[in-house]
Amino acid sequence: MSAGQAVFSGWMEIAEKAVQDEARRQAEEAALAALVSQYSGTLYRVAYSVLRNAADAEDAVQEAFVRVLRHRNSLHEVRDQRLWLIRIVWNVVMDRKRRMKTRPETDDVAELARVLPATGLSAEERAAAAQHHAHVLACVERLPAKERQVLLLSAFEELNSVEIAAVVGITESSVRSRLFRARNLMAGLLEHTRSLR
Amino acid sequence: MKTGNRDQGSGISQAEETLRLLARLPAPEGLEERVQAHLAAAAKTVSPKARLLRWPAVPQGQSSLARLAAAAAIAAVVVGGGWVVCSRFQPAQPAQAVTAPPHGAAQQGGFSRAGAMRTPQTLNGPVVAAPAVAHPANATQTTQSVAQPEPKTLHRVKHTATREPISPTPR
Repeated sequence: MSAGQAVFSGWMEIAEKAVQDEARRQAEEAALAALVSQYSGTLYRVAYSVLRNAADAEDAVQEAFVRVLRHRNSLHEVRDQRLWLIRIVWNVVMDRKRRMKTRPETDDVAELARVLPATGLSAEERAAAAQHHAHVLACVERLPAKERQVLLLSAFEELNSVEIAAVVGITESSVRSRLFRARNLMAGLLEHTRSLR
Repeated sequence: MKTGNRDQGSGISQAEETLRLLARLPAPEGLEERVQAHLAAAAKTVSPKARLLRWPAVPQGQSSLARLAAAAAIAAVVVGGGWVVCSRFQPAQPAQAVTAPPHGAAQQGGFSRAGAMRTPQTLNGPVVAAPAVAHPANATQTTQSVAQPEPKTLHRVKHTATREPISPTPR
């Protein structure tokens, strides 16, 4: 092969590789857009259940997808994308929760009254329901972190105990034992507050 | 006790119902669009491992012809450049012996020695002291004996001069 032919074939290979990379990039962007449209709602609910603030939850979802964007080259290697995304947003939320410890607490009752569905309720009933939910959530906040996390995730119908274990990074038996402890503690807390009233 | 357990159970179920309500909350309107817009903005700053320059697109029908023309142009530029470089520079000539200039620097306008001769600095040997003359008669005798070409006499005189130099003042 002459030098000219070698240069020509090398140039052809470079051009074809550029075309392939461009096609791959477009495919990755399309896959990412599909993930956003499919799972952004789920991720938002996971984030909101912990942060209990709409703006913070939306920020957490966006941050989670930015992390996905950084690893978009390895998207095809992920087996369960839903669980993978929930785990990412869970880590983001936990980081934010840790940082928010020093911040003043938001008015959960007003936020809950605005957010939670209250169709067919009067204004007083709605306010009472919001207060009840706020009281329950305050008790949840008093649980130890490990038990609280498992209890929050168990409320999601999409997640079974195996998936909760994968999100938190523990074994399934640990999930069950933590959930058992969380329920007992929760019952004790609710009973205690009821007796105080 | 049973009532207490029933209360506890209802309390837990109420608590779980609250958590389930939270878990079923609908996402706010336009969340997906906002996330997509945020990602589009972030994609400009977040770069993958390597970035490729975009090559200008070539129409499919003329691709081979255009590529051939481009390759020929590149080859012509490379060959032309090489030829220009080779034509400008001559091949290196073999090295010649350099003749040293003659020493007469004054003829070429440089400094001259002005007739100075170099004398090497050597150690002075023992200086033979000249014999002092006490009496003219002895002196003439001595000079006469010295003037004689016989080696014996000269040897004797030398001994005399070295061993017993005549002092200028009489003893």
